[in-house]
Amino acid sequence: MEEQTKTNLNVKSLEEIEELRIKARNKAYIGVVITVVLVIVCYLIWQTPQALYFPAILGIVITVILITKPRREFLLAYKEKYVKESLTKIFTDLVYQPENGINYQTIANTQMMNMGDTYESNDYVSGKYKNINVEQADVHIQEEHESTDSDGNTTTYYVTIFKGRWMIFDFNKTFKANIQVCQKGFGNNRVNTIFGKSKYQKVSMESANFNDKFKTYAQSDHEAFYILTPSLMEKIERVTNSIKGKLLFCFVDNKLHVGIYNNVDSFEHSIFKKINEEEVLNSVSNDIKMITSFVDELNLDNDLFRKEA
Amino acid sequence: MTIGIVIAVIVLVVIIAYISISNNLNKAVVKIDEASSGIDVALTKRYDVLTKMMDVVKAYAKHEEEVLVKTIELRQGMSTKEQQEANNNMDEAFKKINIIAENYPELKSNENYNTLQKSITDVEEHLQAARRLYNANVSSLNQMIVSFPSSVIASSKGMTKRDFFEADSAKKEDVKINL
Repeated sequence: MEEQTKTNLNVKSLEEIEELRIKARNKAYIGVVITVVLVIVCYLIWQTPQALYFPAILGIVITVILITKPRREFLLAYKEKYVKESLTKIFTDLVYQPENGINYQTIANTQMMNMGDTYESNDYVSGKYKNINVEQADVHIQEEHESTDSDGNTTTYYVTIFKGRWMIFDFNKTFKANIQVCQKGFGNNRVNTIFGKSKYQKVSMESANFNDKFKTYAQSDHEAFYILTPSLMEKIERVTNSIKGKLLFCFVDNKLHVGIYNNVDSFEHSIFKKINEEEVLNSVSNDIKMITSFVDELNLDNDLFRKEA
Repeated sequence: MTIGIVIAVIVLVVIIAYISISNNLNKAVVKIDEASSGIDVALTKRYDVLTKMMDVVKAYAKHEEEVLVKTIELRQGMSTKEQQEANNNMDEAFKKINIIAENYPELKSNENYNTLQKSITDVEEHLQAARRLYNANVSSLNQMIVSFPSSVIASSKGMTKRDFFEADSAKKEDVKINL
């Protein structure tokens, strides 16, 4: 009860959150002005385009330093009020940690894709929906590349392998071998590497439609047919059609992992956009529905096959 | 000289194609045999659960005529026809057990019986999976047997189309158990 009261005290009013947003936005404007002034002054002094790089980079660094703290304060307050309160209405045993994410190893263990060189994850949600344990977080995985031009200058750049949401659900069947279902068009599936998928074999399901849309890999083809019933395949097709982005389904250790590669950062709000409560609540509600739709559409709460622990 | 090289290349291509297609046909046969043994395993599991269910039912329904689950014959390496027959007999036995159980409502609160009901549903799912895998593999082999050029090699190896494992309509009803 005491904890509940503390939590409520942490929830700021719309006016307070707007103040934090405006403060962060103004810092961003100040940063932009500093950058522009630096660039103009340097150009006037040296009058060469090359002389613009240093002040431009310096200005960006100053802007980032200026906005990091106020932006963080704004987002934490925003998420506490709008995201956490909306999640509380849907999930029981809720844990919401905006600055934490899903553990790197949890996703790596699915062997769904190359895990790249940088890994970021935030907006961790854990709770129960229809008595099903659910976890989700935003995930961004990138691979570092280097290119060298004719003068021998090396530039480092990053290529996104996966950006979107990762969800983990209790699955209603017990299985021994892992299965992967990857929507065609997701180019970073680990099968493309020499060392990937050594324990997995490609499986052709009896549904031509399903095979046209997905690549299925399994450690045992019997288990693939056991998990992917005709009914579940139809549901996977249906849910895939209703969501923008490329979907990945991994059946690992009696859990269903779902990856949605849509380049979207969920539960966020720009510091440059005024808060409209109705719009914000709709947007948060849509982000939450994306989680619950998998439980609803795939009937994960059907415990016909679930064995009691 | 050039003609000799062309003929050698053609012969080499034909030999490689023959080996490749022949290997694919052999792999398809092995996959069917593996899937068939998967059906054997699933049928054995189903038989075991039905036997246990009958034992639990017997404790409540002493005066009912016993369902002869134990007369159903199972052995390793059954033909598809034998597997289907065993499966159909189990369907019948399962139906009879359910009919007997319907007359004894107290059975429904028996923990063992409820656990076995859940087990039979899961076993049914495994049987369905084994059957679908078997049929998918049979379909793949049958397609190779009727398609050129694999049909020529299949014919030279004396391969013929395999029968599908047909699902009995009554069995499809099995999974709709009210728990």
